[in-house]
Amino acid sequence: MTNSSSQDETLQIAHVTKRYGSGSTEVTAVHDVSLTVSPGEIILIMGPSGSGKTTLLSMLGALLKPTEGAIQLNGTIISALAENRLPDIRLKQFGFIFQDFNLLSALTALENVAIVSELAGFKSGEARRKAASLLTELGLGERLNFLPEKLSGGEKQRVAIARALINDPALILADEPTANLDSKIGHEIMRLLRRIAKEQGRSVVIVSHDQRIKDIADRVLWLEDGEFKETVTMAIDPVCGMSVEREKAVSAEWEGEIFYFCARGCRDEFLNDPQKFLLTASQESSKKI
Amino acid sequence: MSLARRNLFQDKTRLALSIGGVALAVMLILILKGFLTGMNRQITSYIDNSPGSIILAQEDVVNLLGATSLLPEGIIQKAETIRGVDEAIPILSQFVILDLHEKKQPAYMIGYDPKLGGGPWELISGSEPRSKREIVFDRIFADRHDLKLGDEVEVMGKDFTIVGLSSGTTSWMTSFFFVRKQDAEDLLLAPNATSFLLLTTSDGASLDDILRRLNNISGVNALTKKDMSANDIILFANIFSAPLKLMVGIAFLVGTMIVGLIIYTATVERQREYGVIKAIGAKNRFLYQIVVTQALFASIAGSALGILLANGAAQWIMSARPQFLIVFDPVDSVQALLAGLGMALIASIFPTRVMAGLAPAEVFRK
Repeated sequence: MTNSSSQDETLQIAHVTKRYGSGSTEVTAVHDVSLTVSPGEIILIMGPSGSGKTTLLSMLGALLKPTEGAIQLNGTIISALAENRLPDIRLKQFGFIFQDFNLLSALTALENVAIVSELAGFKSGEARRKAASLLTELGLGERLNFLPEKLSGGEKQRVAIARALINDPALILADEPTANLDSKIGHEIMRLLRRIAKEQGRSVVIVSHDQRIKDIADRVLWLEDGEFKETVTMAIDPVCGMSVEREKAVSAEWEGEIFYFCARGCRDEFLNDPQKFLLTASQESSKKI
Repeated sequence: MSLARRNLFQDKTRLALSIGGVALAVMLILILKGFLTGMNRQITSYIDNSPGSIILAQEDVVNLLGATSLLPEGIIQKAETIRGVDEAIPILSQFVILDLHEKKQPAYMIGYDPKLGGGPWELISGSEPRSKREIVFDRIFADRHDLKLGDEVEVMGKDFTIVGLSSGTTSWMTSFFFVRKQDAEDLLLAPNATSFLLLTTSDGASLDDILRRLNNISGVNALTKKDMSANDIILFANIFSAPLKLMVGIAFLVGTMIVGLIIYTATVERQREYGVIKAIGAKNRFLYQIVVTQALFASIAGSALGILLANGAAQWIMSARPQFLIVFDPVDSVQALLAGLGMALIASIFPTRVMAGLAPAEVFRK
């Protein structure tokens, strides 16, 4: 990932702290955390249980107010907004994806997505048209009128992704999105999220224990005891397509840009004919969802 | 799409219980109110069906059924001389205890002159008492005691023969029976005594003027039939209305609690889903609408079913126990629907508090 200018920032959190309780029972869940998320960037936050990941994600999504610090979204300091203004921000600026999918069991796939659009003020017919189009794009055209109980885990998560996208949010927040999926489906879902992020310029913040998600992330942040301990910046090997940690990877510079590789073999192959690999990478990224 | 409707119909058993609970409560409310209305109608049945528009009673007596009245001697002639009074029909009445099949049974005796009127207004068999020691019983009362035309019954130690059966002259509390006035005088050992005069008036005469003139007679109290009916209703309403209204209140509370409990459990059960909706960006108002819509649907459907059930139950009760009269006033049905709406709104209070208290951040908790 590249550093972005402040104009490009989707989300910026500065010195955010969240404490629960007071006096002897006070617990600091998140301590002095700062983070900037750029448009189209995918950030993976990992860490042990109880490290403050969920609290941080809740604050990022305007579900919880920080005790200290500020959270700014597209120029608006949302942490300072009155409680009654937050639902609208959540509805239009954020898309939420949950571990348990959290679809409404009484509604069909189409209705689960359309209801969010209706909440944002769209008329029922328009909301349903948008929802149907989005679900069809995500490969669920044949499942529009299915209740969640009739859908597989992967299908449910794709409905959840459609629900998160329907109001065209700037930021998607995903909580353990692969936890209830088998590895193949989990990987598919993550690649889908990556394509959405890159092609539509939406930022994605994922909280997960799943190491395999590192592949799709631009940055991996390690949260422990409420603080970021380590930052790993990820890159894609242009030769084999593997996700590699920049700090540990073999690198090479070509025409002023640094490329990262899983091994020397890939680097050498790249340097023999860089144009060949850059063209392939470009074609890959232009694929539609 | 209506999330409220979908949620409600997803669990059909719960929906049926909810509607059924309200229906039973509304049915109970209507039956009790119908019973009260029927009781009032039974209480005033004699006054409503007797001739005349004014009743002359002893001074200070304002009830037909609730007080003993004895008019001064020569009152008939005096009353008939009052301008505007057409005819004065005397009756001698008294609550008596009948001993039927060794079972004590209170009944209201009307002693009247069959030639003048004041007796049973609907005879379904037999005839009015024309000779000494003849009696007309209410049909339902007679059936309950296995009595028929020609049977002999003892009234205050004297034997009477049943010569007629009347209709509309009983209630679950007591029953009217009719004898000749002379027989009533014999039974009460009060020759020529008169309890009340039923006064008919000339066409066009002002009731107020006639009442004023009648009330100038010493020792009497003249009332319109309407006022005396109202007094009798108030007298009995004081006795029965309070417990019946209490039962109506309890039925309302039970119905409210049933809807409230069912909507509350349905809300708590879906707490996570509602939390998700809230996290996504729904305002509390949207969530309250879901609860209130569900409660309203259950209550309105339950009230409508309750009205139907009440009609069915009333028919069944009146055929099984004819002494009970259950009368449905259209206003009662409207009130039952309003009661259903009231139940819905009250029942929504606790579930909406649950909704209001939902923390959207909880959706990320496992």
